[in-house]
Amino acid sequence: MSSLASLISSIFAQAPTPEELDAKITLDSAVLAEQFYFFTVVIMWLIHAGFMAYEAGVARRKNVMSTAMKNILTIAVVTPSFYYFGWYIYGCFEPGGPAQGHAGPSEFPGFCGATAPWAEQMGPNLQDHISAVFFLAFLLFSWTTGSIMSGALIERVRLSAYLLLTVLLGSAVWIMDAAWGWSAGGWLVTNYGFHDSIASLVVHGVAGAFTLGVLLNLGPRIGKFDRQGRPRAFRPHNTHLTLMGLMLIFTGFYGFYAACLVIQSTIFPGWLNIYLSPATLGAIAFVITVGFAGGFTGGWFASKGDPFWTLSGGLAGVISVSAGADVYHPSLAYLLSTSGGMVAVWVGTYIERKLRVDDAVGAVAVHGFCGFYGVFLVGIFAGGFPTGVNNIPSSFGGQAMGMLAFFPLAFLPGYLASWVLKKLNLLRVPPEVELEGLDMAEFQQDFYPEFERVPETIVLPTGEEVEAAPVLLEGYADVIQTGTRGGSR
Amino acid sequence: MIDSFPFEEWSEDIAGYWTFGPGDSTGTYILTVLGIALMIISLIAWVRLESRKLDAQAALLRGGGILPPASPTAPGPGFQEPPLAGPSTDPGP
Repeated sequence: MSSLASLISSIFAQAPTPEELDAKITLDSAVLAEQFYFFTVVIMWLIHAGFMAYEAGVARRKNVMSTAMKNILTIAVVTPSFYYFGWYIYGCFEPGGPAQGHAGPSEFPGFCGATAPWAEQMGPNLQDHISAVFFLAFLLFSWTTGSIMSGALIERVRLSAYLLLTVLLGSAVWIMDAAWGWSAGGWLVTNYGFHDSIASLVVHGVAGAFTLGVLLNLGPRIGKFDRQGRPRAFRPHNTHLTLMGLMLIFTGFYGFYAACLVIQSTIFPGWLNIYLSPATLGAIAFVITVGFAGGFTGGWFASKGDPFWTLSGGLAGVISVSAGADVYHPSLAYLLSTSGGMVAVWVGTYIERKLRVDDAVGAVAVHGFCGFYGVFLVGIFAGGFPTGVNNIPSSFGGQAMGMLAFFPLAFLPGYLASWVLKKLNLLRVPPEVELEGLDMAEFQQDFYPEFERVPETIVLPTGEEVEAAPVLLEGYADVIQTGTRGGSR
Repeated sequence: MIDSFPFEEWSEDIAGYWTFGPGDSTGTYILTVLGIALMIISLIAWVRLESRKLDAQAALLRGGGILPPASPTAPGPGFQEPPLAGPSTDPGP
């Protein structure tokens, strides 16, 4: 009997105190959150593997490696620039917009001070499990903005020009808009209830608007438009690679969506969206999946079964419902994403045929237009939903305010930076190099050395597929004699 | 026993060991400046290296006689203007 009593007393003697239990639970919660964001980052890498495959497949054989290298070096340049500048912009411009100016650490001490590249939280820090992985999740969003732009510019942009532009987009432009409208302290959120939960506009729309500005200065590929301004079609060198790339992007999107939520059970009562409003991971995953279904459906029917646009329609569908993904019923998401898949095809066609802008992968339509469309839809279908820590109801006016703020914020830097590069003759490769293919100039090799070269073909506006050389040489002659590229703008 | 591992104590020791750290110190400021310098130098080098490659290749191609001369010429005998109307192969509605 006495031994039993001593056993019980020894158990109680070893039992943790409430304070010790609290410390252990807090640590476990922090480590779980750390793991959660870490694995979203791992999954989001698939987006970049996908963009690389997608764009390399769309490119002609002579431009495969130069196209892929853009995606690879996006990581090389956006990572340091986002670390040194971008993260600080997000942390320190949250509570202020144009009205309040730069918000110093004293105004937002918990975050701004933690985002400087020399901060304790940015180095090896045994007391902070969250800052580093949260930074990494945002870094992957930054790469995504660059990757959205890169596909549109392929086969004629200089690699170095793209790298400079992607630094501007990925480490300054998009993260400023995120500070304004994709954070609990952004002025659009705290004042107008702007709601873009999973970044329809702040990532996709903004990257698309920036890309449009660049495309206007870059011009089309040689031979893309005939002298009447009608578009010709280049054949992707590997459609299978392109489709596989899109499927990888879709897989990575699940990580992207998950990383847009906030969780740590000892600080917050449950899952929150980026505005710190209650949300659930399951609802978001549901909307994504339904969004793909609707987008594929819309893309298929609007393009009459074109494989490229069917898959791009899936992307467009998801982007169209991302802004309200934490709010929408799956059936509503299905309907709206179907419309998004259709709209992307129509807008893409309009941009090419009427505006005569050569967007090689339809990025402006799929990401740009549908990004804005997604935020517009929230104003209609989720008006009144309380957003953010101030509980401001979302409204059509608030959504419109976001669109009006973000279009110039994105378009103007893209246009002006590419205009400067163009004036310095640093934007575009020489026309001779473009004709021969960028891979020979950049890497001095063909990346399919064991495959016989067949004559390159091009599809005329009449639908006839012909040998490309005479058409491209005619386009080259126009460029060097008159400086024009077909009937393009 | 794993319970005897002095995690807390060692954590404090490890937290104090951060090469050129801790945060907000002269060491981290210098590292930051050096990192930014490397980033900027890399970007400039990318521009210059690529310009050199592209210019050399363009000059080679211009000098090779493969491309048409940079003076006004009429389209070749086989060239036909495409008709003004017709179905496009581009996907669309």
